[in-house]
Amino acid sequence: MSRTDESSDRTLWQRSRTADAPVDEATRFLDLAGFADGLLDPDEQERVGAFVVADPAAEADVAAAQASTGGIDERPAGFERIVARACALVPDAQFSTARVIAFAPRQRRVLHGLAQWASLAAAILVASWLGFSMGSDTSFALSRPGLSNDSSVIPELFDPGTGFLRDFGENLRS
Amino acid sequence: MAHEGELDALARGEKGAWESFVRRYAGLVVAAVRGVARDSGDVEDLTQEVFVRLCKDDFRLLRSYDPARAGLSTWLTIVARSTARDALRRHRPVSVPIDAVPESRLAIDPVEPVRKLKLPEALLSPRQREILTMLYDREMEVAEIAAALGIDPQTVRSAHHKAMLKLRAHFKAETE
Repeated sequence: MSRTDESSDRTLWQRSRTADAPVDEATRFLDLAGFADGLLDPDEQERVGAFVVADPAAEADVAAAQASTGGIDERPAGFERIVARACALVPDAQFSTARVIAFAPRQRRVLHGLAQWASLAAAILVASWLGFSMGSDTSFALSRPGLSNDSSVIPELFDPGTGFLRDFGENLRS
Repeated sequence: MAHEGELDALARGEKGAWESFVRRYAGLVVAAVRGVARDSGDVEDLTQEVFVRLCKDDFRLLRSYDPARAGLSTWLTIVARSTARDALRRHRPVSVPIDAVPESRLAIDPVEPVRKLKLPEALLSPRQREILTMLYDREMEVAEIAAALGIDPQTVRSAHHKAMLKLRAHFKAETE
């Protein structure tokens, strides 16, 4: 072993002594099961063995695993219910793989706004056209000399004194 | 015993594989849980806890099983007993009338301390720890260690090498 290697190994060892190892349950289960089955390599067997001796619960688990016959001699009363509950934990594939198909995005708001502006513009257009048409008709009627005195009804609508429209409901109110 | 194909199908979340697994190992899980349960009324719920744990997080625990390291029945027994014990601890805290608790005990923090292992204890065998301690803390030579432990110097070097590989792998994984 070179001096550099020795120095770096020493540093690593000293660093490890101040570090805590995260206790990972999955690794611990495999360690204990491997120890119970005697499938670990000698170093691992020794390491896990030391842990098992120091932990009564782990020791009991290992002993139970080694004594296990792989099942139960007599099924308890609710065994089928136990199995059904456990089976229900994983959903059917047809449900787990089903996809929700989304509706097409709603465009109602856009159309609604467009219709509002279109109807407003149409209303303005119609009102303008009507106003212009009525105004031009009136102007035309008043400007024709032949119809201004006798034959036209329009002059009768106006009060000659004030020039405003006459009040035809005057007699009815009294 | 479930073969690898069945385990792969399980890990993919196939309903048929899961049902077959449950039917095959429910008896074993019930037997393991019975050894931990305080009364028979707990067995059904504790068994369900075990199966929940096995398929939780997309079968994370079940995926961690390695057939090369242990038999499935042995592994399931360990998982079932540990899960049942955890569930009992979580669901039914031991309650004692406060008058029965000595005054001195009340001063103790009720939170159960989390067990922590120092890295060498978690990763290395007692023999490997001993050799590294002798080598680096007591500044002993390989030949001296071999003589003290009554083993071959080559065994000392081999144990040292394996221990350093484990430590390096741990710190490398930690930094990644």
